[in-house]
Amino acid sequence: MRISIQWLRDWLQIDETPEELGHRLTMAGLELDAIEAAAPAFSGVRVGRVVKVEPHPDADRLRVCQVEAGEDEPLTIVCGAPNVHEGMVAPVAVVGAVLPDNFKIKKSKLRGVASAGMLCSARELGLAEDAEGLLALPEELEIGADLRAALGLDDHILEVDLTPNRADCLGMRGIARECSALLDRPLNEHLAAQTAVELDAGIAIQVEDAEACPLYAARVLDGLDARASTPLWMTERLRRAGVRPLSAIVDVTNYVMLELGQPLHAFDAGRLGETVKVRWARPGESLTLLGGDQEVELDEQDLVIASATAPVALAGIMGGADSAVDDDTTRVVLECAHFAPLALAGRARAHGLHTDASHRFERGVDPTLVEQAMERATRLLLEICGGQCGPVESAGEWPSSHFEQPIRLRRLRIQRLLGTMFEDAEVERILGALACRVESTDDGWAVRAPRARFDLEREEDLIEELARVHGYDRLPQRLPSPVAPAERPPALRALRDQLARQGFHEVISFSFIDVEASRAFYPTVEPLALANPISSDLAVMRPGLWPGLVATAAYNQARQQPDLRLFEHGLRFVPDASGLRQEPRLAGLLGGRANPEHWDAPSRRVDFFDAKGVVEGLCVSVDAPLGFRAEKHPALHDGQSARILAGGRPIGWVGRLHPALCKQFDVEPVYLFDLDAQSVLRAPVAQFAPLSPYPSIRRDLALVVKASVPAGDVLGAIEELGLELVQDVRLFDVYQGKGLNPDEKSLALGLILRAFDRTLGEQDVANVTDKVVEHLHARFQATLRQ
Amino acid sequence: MEQLQQLVAEARDRIEAATDLKALDDVRVQYLGKKGSITAQLKELGKLPAEERPAAGQKVNEAKTEVAGLIEARKQALADSALAEQLAREQVDVTLPGRRLPEGSLHPITHTLERIEAFFAGLGFRVAEGPEVEDDFHNFEALNIPEHHPARAMHDTFYFDAHRVLRTHTSPVQIRTMEQQKPPLRVIAPGRVYRCDSDLTHSPMFHQVEGLCVDTDITFADLRGVLSAFLQSFFDRDDLATRFRPSYFPFTEPSAEVDIQCVHCGGDGCRVCSHTGWLEVMGCGMVHPNVLGHVGIDPEQYTGFAFGLGVERMAMLRHGVNDLRLFFDNDIRFIRQFGRTG
Repeated sequence: MRISIQWLRDWLQIDETPEELGHRLTMAGLELDAIEAAAPAFSGVRVGRVVKVEPHPDADRLRVCQVEAGEDEPLTIVCGAPNVHEGMVAPVAVVGAVLPDNFKIKKSKLRGVASAGMLCSARELGLAEDAEGLLALPEELEIGADLRAALGLDDHILEVDLTPNRADCLGMRGIARECSALLDRPLNEHLAAQTAVELDAGIAIQVEDAEACPLYAARVLDGLDARASTPLWMTERLRRAGVRPLSAIVDVTNYVMLELGQPLHAFDAGRLGETVKVRWARPGESLTLLGGDQEVELDEQDLVIASATAPVALAGIMGGADSAVDDDTTRVVLECAHFAPLALAGRARAHGLHTDASHRFERGVDPTLVEQAMERATRLLLEICGGQCGPVESAGEWPSSHFEQPIRLRRLRIQRLLGTMFEDAEVERILGALACRVESTDDGWAVRAPRARFDLEREEDLIEELARVHGYDRLPQRLPSPVAPAERPPALRALRDQLARQGFHEVISFSFIDVEASRAFYPTVEPLALANPISSDLAVMRPGLWPGLVATAAYNQARQQPDLRLFEHGLRFVPDASGLRQEPRLAGLLGGRANPEHWDAPSRRVDFFDAKGVVEGLCVSVDAPLGFRAEKHPALHDGQSARILAGGRPIGWVGRLHPALCKQFDVEPVYLFDLDAQSVLRAPVAQFAPLSPYPSIRRDLALVVKASVPAGDVLGAIEELGLELVQDVRLFDVYQGKGLNPDEKSLALGLILRAFDRTLGEQDVANVTDKVVEHLHARFQATLRQ
Repeated sequence: MEQLQQLVAEARDRIEAATDLKALDDVRVQYLGKKGSITAQLKELGKLPAEERPAAGQKVNEAKTEVAGLIEARKQALADSALAEQLAREQVDVTLPGRRLPEGSLHPITHTLERIEAFFAGLGFRVAEGPEVEDDFHNFEALNIPEHHPARAMHDTFYFDAHRVLRTHTSPVQIRTMEQQKPPLRVIAPGRVYRCDSDLTHSPMFHQVEGLCVDTDITFADLRGVLSAFLQSFFDRDDLATRFRPSYFPFTEPSAEVDIQCVHCGGDGCRVCSHTGWLEVMGCGMVHPNVLGHVGIDPEQYTGFAFGLGVERMAMLRHGVNDLRLFFDNDIRFIRQFGRTG
């Protein structure tokens, strides 16, 4: 909302600077966005009258004008404007004047004729974006007067962001009401007087749904001159409010809307006919909107204004082209109605529209304005365009000034919510200034809000008004009573820290990804698709975190960062039969060198076992035996891919990105892991186990097995035996090559044996190793290497 | 006896000529060994008259002690120089880089969340979480934003179908918390939120922290006290000015927006604060009775406050980041700057 301070002075005295007023409004919830001057800086421009216009001797397009500008003699000024004519009152920049952009007016010669100044267009004064010819000024202005003073250009416009609850401030008078309460200064209400009815012309009104349109009023005006020019004071106010002046009739309806907040519409009576219907649209109906470029298809959810035969306007949103006023209009039907917010909710948007009228009706317009706005607009139209008016016809109920239902406001509740008491007089002053009707009761007040304040529905709303007008910053502050600090589960922080210590960088990638990426990584998942994605590469919810990590790796590799360790924690979204699973995952990526380039250590590229080692490190607190099982994953290299198991339950994957995906996503080889965050986040409390006072014995065995036997199976088999003395088994070498058959490998195992009740002897060791060798032979045909 | 002095002189020369322990030991054997030449002098004593023997014996012993001392001194000298040589040989260039795995880093959003969570944990606020694909009821209805409410249009919602949306704020976690637990309540809900908007200053995904405090005696004064203290703590400035401006959120009444004195210019006005001297950092208010009603909490018995803040904005202000998009580009040259501890 754009607020001209000068306009505001129609209702109350404003002594504050624009900055002070803006600050006060901001601190009351009407946030100041910008302060604009009504006109850019210029000086030396006066009101002039063109008294004589003669052709220029040497230029067809130029005229030589005599202009009265308050001097003893008229000034001779050469002018090229097409609309210059004798008797015209227009701005004249005299010699010495400085126009916007520091354009200095000097004595000059134009094609040989001396010119003592310049006649100006609105554009040259910075009052309009473009203009055809000179700015025509009202004839009643004093000739020779300074233009800034004559037009009140030393005005400022406060641009204020309104929250949706403050529809009452979508008119200047509402703003004035607010300022009166904030500044504790009286408001000069001046209600429009009724205009005498001289025309016997009625209009039949039928309202189909009184809930959607509780009040519809209309009247006929006849004998209007639609070509009459809008007075400058009005176009100036429209301009300052950010509305383009169009033609007198439309300008008046806009002006009254800006002044009071009530949208109005003028139909050409000749095209509308004698009947106005307010009804729901019927399927198949359509309407060409004002301007004529857009035809909208209507349905039963659209409230329309219709003639006897067809819709002529989208109620409360926009008029139709067919019934619009134009320069030849002489008879109009002026509509002033109240539409319920719910009846219009979302309809403008559904048609891709957003108008000044829809903006107001959706938020709620004071229904008592119908009468005032009708009278105000009638008076202005007759003043400007001439003519006569018919009686106001209406359907529906004329509302009372205040809501019927009083709101109970309790003294104690004010304290309960704000933490401080308010003086009774202060409560009554504030609510009174906001036009509420306030009556004392035993425990507080019964308050009836004015119709304009749809947002005042309950006690808390009134308490907010008290706090707001009083000033939030003048209310007390304190800390609530202390309680014990909240426990913060350390697990996620610890894992993040662990990864960072291992050189990983944490990334945060978008939760929505390209559907192609989703299909490439997770071909078996039909991802959850957004109905209104922002772009095709952010269209479906990620079924996993790898696409984001791989894209991030490609992004960084392309920026000369080849050595990458990345991780992310976040949700994956997997639709399944039971609905949608939103599960936290912890995923990572490794690429490039395993160790940094160093003067004393050869550098090595990361491989599967680097990734697996990280996973093992992350899983130390998993309270079930960790396992890795060779298994194919569509996104991983067939031969370097493993399921991660906790006590046999799958909790994730680790492996090398499939070469085909490397190519598809333009990334150097990388290794990935993905873990169910819940499984690794558990941090069981450590439980003590007794220590043995006896020394351990190590016995190394080299076992030859088929190369295809997974080492993990061999280690698992030893564990299966459940030998009490075996404390640990270490796999310290894997050998293939000379001395073995090509399809064989040798696994070197170190058995660590220990007892709790004695020092072990050679016989104990022999018993254990025999059992191990025997069992492995039975399971895998393993033999001791000779 | 002249011979004895000559032997000692000879031994001294040879000791000094010895360059290693082996040569030195050879000298010892030659002069002081069982068959050594000085030892042999003792055997000569028998040939002397008895009255001369003690004096002569003493002389020989003195010679032995002298030579032994010389050998010991030489041995020490040799050891010293060997050690010196070893030290010289084992010298390293201490300016060469050490061996270590470079540390990684946490995302600045994580650092910022950590800071926020730590402050509120101190006041008894526990962390709560909720789904990101949210239903219409929790994201809007229960928060007093019915269908067609003008506030919905301001949310730029991503939706999936008639009933499911990407949560546009972390406020639905308030509802989910109150559905499951009864007051007194102190929770914060950090997390990702989504708005269908993308330009220089808007990301379609960003982070918020929601806070909720419900008890029998919570007032607007508590809200102001807690948030002022939080902002001063977050920005490490005990004298940081804050101001509360009335605003509108359907789920709080009264509602406020919180501004802090611009941390860039100290309130004088600059580009960061659009020359106002103030930066808007949070929205907050007293929980609307309808919201309490939706979850079966009696608004006559309980009152509460709620707040929400944008994590990216806080991170940008704290770390001087000037472009929102950097947070989601995930350029490790950017992330690395925040280290493990922020």
